[in-house]
Amino acid sequence: MIQPQTYLNVADNSGARELMCIRVIGASNRRYAHIGDVIVAVIKEAVPNTPLERSEVITAVIVSTRKELKCDNGMIIRYDDNATVVIDQEGNPKGTRIFGAIARELRQLNFTKIVSLAPEVL
Amino acid sequence: MISDIVNVIFCLGNCVLLVNLRRMRLEKCWFCSSTVYPGHGVSFLLLHVFKGYITLLLLKIFHFCRSKCHKNFKMKRNPRKVKWTKAYSRLHRKDMTQDSTFEFERKRNRPERYDRNLAENTLKAIKKIDKIRSDRASDHIKNRLKTGKVQRQKEARKQLELGIHLVKAPLALAQDSSLCLPKIKVNVSQAQTEENQPMEE
Repeated sequence: MIQPQTYLNVADNSGARELMCIRVIGASNRRYAHIGDVIVAVIKEAVPNTPLERSEVITAVIVSTRKELKCDNGMIIRYDDNATVVIDQEGNPKGTRIFGAIARELRQLNFTKIVSLAPEVL
Repeated sequence: MISDIVNVIFCLGNCVLLVNLRRMRLEKCWFCSSTVYPGHGVSFLLLHVFKGYITLLLLKIFHFCRSKCHKNFKMKRNPRKVKWTKAYSRLHRKDMTQDSTFEFERKRNRPERYDRNLAENTLKAIKKIDKIRSDRASDHIKNRLKTGKVQRQKEARKQLELGIHLVKAPLALAQDSSLCLPKIKVNVSQAQTEENQPMEE
């Protein structure tokens, strides 16, 4: 349940460390974002000497939330933190490595590149 | 952990249906050690990230069979100290801990090539091994409780004697003494007492 003002971790090596959600992409008054939703975020903390800088506005896709994800097969997954992967307008990740386990739902949402880079897919 | 992503492609006439099947595995609840069947329970993924110059990642997955176990985990309770869990009973030797039947249930990460005979034999073996294991476990518990059995029976008999008025009305007992517990007759050999001799002067 990510909404504007939510701070999120970054699960890739794009250069950003921490993002703050500004907008949930979808309907005009969409309240919350879950795993697989795209958000617009501003970088609050970045790794020095990388192309991404602090206070830059970027799009990201949410890959893990503390709110449970209810899968179609009945499985319920809950993560320990809220994390995102920085993407560009087409949906390709800006980084080259993904950290952590990624839920299989992202594959259905056409984030195949992220799923293929992930070390573990659940 | 090797995740097996199985893509099953069904061709229905002209359209192709791509179905992603997740791994179907019977997990063990982290807290109470009962089996979590597919479609039940909650999985909690803990990714411990050490953010520094080097990012170290440790993924630990906790499976919970029901919200009771999940809530106890959130309360940071140690299952080894919580009496109703298997972890506690195994730690305090109330349950069988070492047995050769446990070897069959060890998790193996190597996928087996499907062989029909092997699958059939495995299914038969699972049933048999399960029965043997549960028999041995119940024997273990029975043996453990054996030592207290005599004591418990003695206590029960004593309690019945003291509280017989709750079972049968005292009036009924007085009228018909056969309703009491049969008193066990014990023959006691007594040495013949000497007659009281007057004190010798």
